[in-house]
Amino acid sequence: MSMKSTIKRLTGGAALALALSPVTAFAWSLEEAAQPYAGTTVDVVFLLRPGYEAAKKMLPEFEEKTGIKVNVTDMPYENALGEQVRDFVANGDFDIALVDLVWIGNFAENEWIVPAEKFINDPALADPDLDLEDFFPLVLDAFGSWGGTLYGLPFDNYSGLLFYNQCMLEEAGLDGPPETWGELKDEYGPALTKDGKYAFALQSKRNETQSADSFARVLWPFGGSFLDDEFRSNLMSEESQAGLQFRQDLMQYMPEGIVAYDHAEAVNALAQGDVAMITEWSSFYSTLKDPATSTIGDCLAVAPEPEGPAGRKPALGGFSLAVASQADENEQAAAWLFIQWVTSKENAAKYLELGGVPARQSVYEMEGVAEKYDFVPALVESWQEGVPEFRPRFAEWPEITEIVQEWGTKMMLGEVSTEEGAKQIGDRMEAVLEEAGYYDGEKPLVQ
Amino acid sequence: MLQKTQDLERPAPKESSNAGTVSLGTFLGFLSPAVVTLAAIGIAPLAFAIWTSMRDYNLTRLQRTPFVGLENYATVLTDSVFWDAMGRTFTLLLIALPMQIAAGLGIALILHRPGLTFLKTIARLSLVIPMATTYAVVGLLGQIMFNLKYGVVNQLLGFIGIAPVNWIGDPTNAFAAIVFWDVWQWTPFCALVFLAGLTTVPGEIEEAARLETKSWWTVLRYVQLPFLVPGLTAVLILRTADTLKQFDMVFTMTRGGPGSSTELISLLIQRIGFRAFDQGLASAQAVILLVITIVLSRLYIHFFYREI
Repeated sequence: MSMKSTIKRLTGGAALALALSPVTAFAWSLEEAAQPYAGTTVDVVFLLRPGYEAAKKMLPEFEEKTGIKVNVTDMPYENALGEQVRDFVANGDFDIALVDLVWIGNFAENEWIVPAEKFINDPALADPDLDLEDFFPLVLDAFGSWGGTLYGLPFDNYSGLLFYNQCMLEEAGLDGPPETWGELKDEYGPALTKDGKYAFALQSKRNETQSADSFARVLWPFGGSFLDDEFRSNLMSEESQAGLQFRQDLMQYMPEGIVAYDHAEAVNALAQGDVAMITEWSSFYSTLKDPATSTIGDCLAVAPEPEGPAGRKPALGGFSLAVASQADENEQAAAWLFIQWVTSKENAAKYLELGGVPARQSVYEMEGVAEKYDFVPALVESWQEGVPEFRPRFAEWPEITEIVQEWGTKMMLGEVSTEEGAKQIGDRMEAVLEEAGYYDGEKPLVQ
Repeated sequence: MLQKTQDLERPAPKESSNAGTVSLGTFLGFLSPAVVTLAAIGIAPLAFAIWTSMRDYNLTRLQRTPFVGLENYATVLTDSVFWDAMGRTFTLLLIALPMQIAAGLGIALILHRPGLTFLKTIARLSLVIPMATTYAVVGLLGQIMFNLKYGVVNQLLGFIGIAPVNWIGDPTNAFAAIVFWDVWQWTPFCALVFLAGLTTVPGEIEEAARLETKSWWTVLRYVQLPFLVPGLTAVLILRTADTLKQFDMVFTMTRGGPGSSTELISLLIQRIGFRAFDQGLASAQAVILLVITIVLSRLYIHFFYREI
């Protein structure tokens, strides 16, 4: 079932439920809906990133309106999956799952999260203004759904963008950002790499950054992908190899030690004027714009990621919030009310103002928003052209990403060739998929 | 000797034989807390690890955890990634441990010399600081200090005209950086153990030896070293076990990278067990590591400790 039909079904179901309910849509209010759950505490994991800081600033308002306490556990991204998996396996405390788009298959197949239908069809809990169609379809599909079922609502939303120092480009005689990856390497690279400065930094540290921000980023625009239609490795294809070889060639215009660069290092390199361009998640806009954390001030400019021979295909990443199955009924209801509220249309402008990036289309259509936040046009454009399976979202991704991280880094270091590395990843990836039962028909080929 | 013989021959008082009998309740009362605690925190997790090591036990597929016998062990033993990680761990051990022992012994000998009491007290106290620093903090400090552009290490090298070194981003340099930190953190431990050993050398024997020869090496080799062997054995066993378990510092500084250049065996086990969630395979790796640690400890005791 397609996501579009799922949304229509859910929207229709919600409308019917509201119509049949003694409580009419006009009477619904968060305060009344939350009354039975006042005093309930819901536990959730937040990351140490701007979108979560924004949400935390909004929490007092929610708690005051509802009497529901939201207990936040902060942790770095690298710990978030492990912590949650252990908590769910042990039937622990988390009532809300923070779901990276590559975790959704894992969480859904293990039934650690509850389909949103349960709450959307409950007139006592469903906000009549929920308006699922207002979410960017790509984002709702990729971040919140698995196998045609909606589980979570997009909360911390990213698209890869090209952040660049327009002053450095102007000084080098370059008129605007590169349109294609080829231009970036062949024209911008030599022109901007001089006097201890570099044209580009591609964060490639051996963690999810290597898989998502570096490896996958050069696969898709060149027509490559992790898997073919039969779920066999597609990394030895001409297109995938072209992308991986491109990354090797581009490294001459990147700072030394780029394999040790995580997001912080790449963002800092641009913020300090050491590199002219980075491709980073939209969520880092606030860090780069803030004079306290960035020295480039008005030189900062944003564009969509460059196009490759196969199109733009920018990096896609982000998180949804879903209700955890292990929570009791009251906690589930309270958790849903929070998720629905924090991702609502009504709060989108405030979330944006505080440093978050909402996935609501309506907020970006508001007057003045595109002018005030200059990443908006690029973001909106990127969310039209992204690939949901930018990284496969099935349950086996945690195992596969470890393989990609190891051999992807070895490629960059020149320890193995792109062919050799791709062969290693492909063989190991197929072994994981075979073990999982994709090749004997036990599991559907869904990614 | 005569007095001792008389004591042995003297019949024991009647009441003392009663006092020597321990009731079963007392026996269990004293022993059971220790046994139960050991069973709960040591034996039970080990038994569980052995159990999971024989199953296909992935946290993300708990609906299906079939018994696979020794398959995980076979996978580990034939996996080049495991042996590469083991090789790196032993390389760290073989480079860092001799440096720690040599530097620790040197520091201990300096502090053992008479005079400069106040300065030596300060030095002894200073030696505790590296050991008292949390491993993870050491790694985080390393990440900052070895930063290519802003790190203090490259700043200092700059003062003597050496170009910035890419410490964390280069495989060889990253490994050198973790060796440096390991030596920095654990040389003081060796120094303090050896210093304690030197204080057990009877003063009159050492003094007599110094009157006999001016060679410090002769005094060290034939007088002091025999007293240092128990400490040396302890250092070897503890540092080997610590290096095989070395995790926090490396994880926070390099996360095993770049590539796999600093992925020690404990980082590999953590990666497989807690990032790929394959607890079965990770348990098999951990059990094999445990066996290697026990064998090494027995070898150390066999070859060093027996000579005392």
